[in-house]
Amino acid sequence: MWRLIATRLAAFVPTILATSLVLFITVNVVPGSAAKAALGIDATAQAIARFEHEQGLDRPLHVQYLDWLGKGLRGDFGTSFQNHLAVGPELVMRLPVTLELATLAFLIANVIAVPLGALAAYHHQRRADRIISVIATILGAVPSFWLATVLILILALTVKVLPAGGYAPFTEDPLKNLSLLIMPALSLGVVSSALLLRIMRAKLIEVLSSDYIHTAMAKGAAPNVVIRRHALRNALITFLTVGAVEFGWLFGGVVIIEDIFLLPGVGQLVLVGIINRDYPVLLASALTVTVVVLAANMLVDLIAAILDPRQVHVRSRA
Amino acid sequence: MGPSAISWRRSRLLLIGGVFVGLVILSAIFADVIAPYSPYDIDVADKLQPPSRAHWLGTDEFGRDLLSRTIHAARISVKVATVAVSVGLVGGALIGITAAYFGGPIDLVLMRFMELLFSFPAILLAIVLMAALGTSLLNAMAAIGIIFIPGFSRLARAATQEVLRQQYIEAAHTIGMSDRRILTREILPNVITPLLVEAMAAFAYAVLLESSLSFLGLGAQPPEPSWGNMLNSGRGFMDQAPWLGIVPGIAMFIGVLGFNLLGDGLRDFFDPRLREAQ
Repeated sequence: MWRLIATRLAAFVPTILATSLVLFITVNVVPGSAAKAALGIDATAQAIARFEHEQGLDRPLHVQYLDWLGKGLRGDFGTSFQNHLAVGPELVMRLPVTLELATLAFLIANVIAVPLGALAAYHHQRRADRIISVIATILGAVPSFWLATVLILILALTVKVLPAGGYAPFTEDPLKNLSLLIMPALSLGVVSSALLLRIMRAKLIEVLSSDYIHTAMAKGAAPNVVIRRHALRNALITFLTVGAVEFGWLFGGVVIIEDIFLLPGVGQLVLVGIINRDYPVLLASALTVTVVVLAANMLVDLIAAILDPRQVHVRSRA
Repeated sequence: MGPSAISWRRSRLLLIGGVFVGLVILSAIFADVIAPYSPYDIDVADKLQPPSRAHWLGTDEFGRDLLSRTIHAARISVKVATVAVSVGLVGGALIGITAAYFGGPIDLVLMRFMELLFSFPAILLAIVLMAALGTSLLNAMAAIGIIFIPGFSRLARAATQEVLRQQYIEAAHTIGMSDRRILTREILPNVITPLLVEAMAAFAYAVLLESSLSFLGLGAQPPEPSWGNMLNSGRGFMDQAPWLGIVPGIAMFIGVLGFNLLGDGLRDFFDPRLREAQ
């Protein structure tokens, strides 16, 4: 198992380096665009040249990349073009907000998907299954930012039970923190539950038709015991793998949701970065989101492998 | 429930999908004819009017007819989705088929790069690409298209590898057919079906991504109507005019659901193995 963990970690590092390279090249591929973005389109050629020299943008691209990467590894992501604040500390401050939002949303998605998926699978091709499948199809087509808008309309503007936006740290005021995060988390979680529900249902149907489940049933085990003890546990591995992908999707979705609910997270910083053409901010925040997503994927991959001894065996031999 | 009942249910979903997609596409093509008003006509005296006989879905903060803008916005969605999915389909097919046909280091390099692109959250990659390309509708189409390339390339590669195992490819090599001829005459026609089916499913995602980018102000620019930017500008007036937060969302929902159902239905139709598995 340790070998498996080591190989996964070894593969993780080059992936991160490669994604950072892709991001860096994409943002810097148009020469002079960073300076124009920071100084405005009316900037003179002299001003642009001075700015590029000051920021080190007149150096060859690979030198710039290595410099950026080297500093980034030490937590120094440069300073914002706009407010001249260090980007690194800003990220450290914002990451917990985004992580809390994504985790809450992921929990909500699972709380919806697992029981409904199991119920649909158990009642396969009967009325309950059909109703749940229709619900999943509908949820899968609702854009999260529209659900967010509707939730604000109902819960904040009409019934007035929740605040429409803002943020309070959990450590300062847990209740206020949750009341501010519940709508954003619902918007992301409810929409994400659709895919998870479908996967849960499909996988459980497959597991429930396997021989060992028939044997357990034939031996007289109660259906809910069979589902909980045998079927769910086996379906969980596939579910986890999809869950990681879904978590990545969800983490991408925070850009819009944080903007709507005025949450000071990393997603909002991505948006600030692009709207202000603030490339150090955009690069660092986009890289942070990508690294978190990749780390979540790797973690789940490891958990799934540990849960399924067959995989450990096959993979360590390969 | 017997097999005929299942297929009836499936075809019913396909039908609903078809109706929704038809509605969106017809709105896009005949927007000028169907829409009761111009989507750009400002009438400040009539701003934020609730739905009435004159304005079936009400008016927005500039007094523009919401129904007309919603109909015209379908045009942007369909246009962006068509271009983006085409970019993804052609780019993905080229890369996937090349990788599978030539194999070796070409395959390795191309597919590793595709995997890399695949590891970014889609909306994030779109935003970063927009930073490089500049924010405009045309660039949104390009950015969304690029996002689709890895998915299509994987599919094209797998399908090509399947075709390459067939005897007629070996025969084509034996009689001295050129690579180009084999690729265009033998391989392409045989891998195009799964790609086209996938393209239908990608449409739903393209509509969603376009709306997301426009919502963030990175896609269609006002006053050009897009469901995304309509929802974004309307959200500031929701306490006085709740319909501004509801109507564009329902339009998006219909578009995404329609293409989803149609995509699922077509996938089932062309892949009987899937049909049985479900």
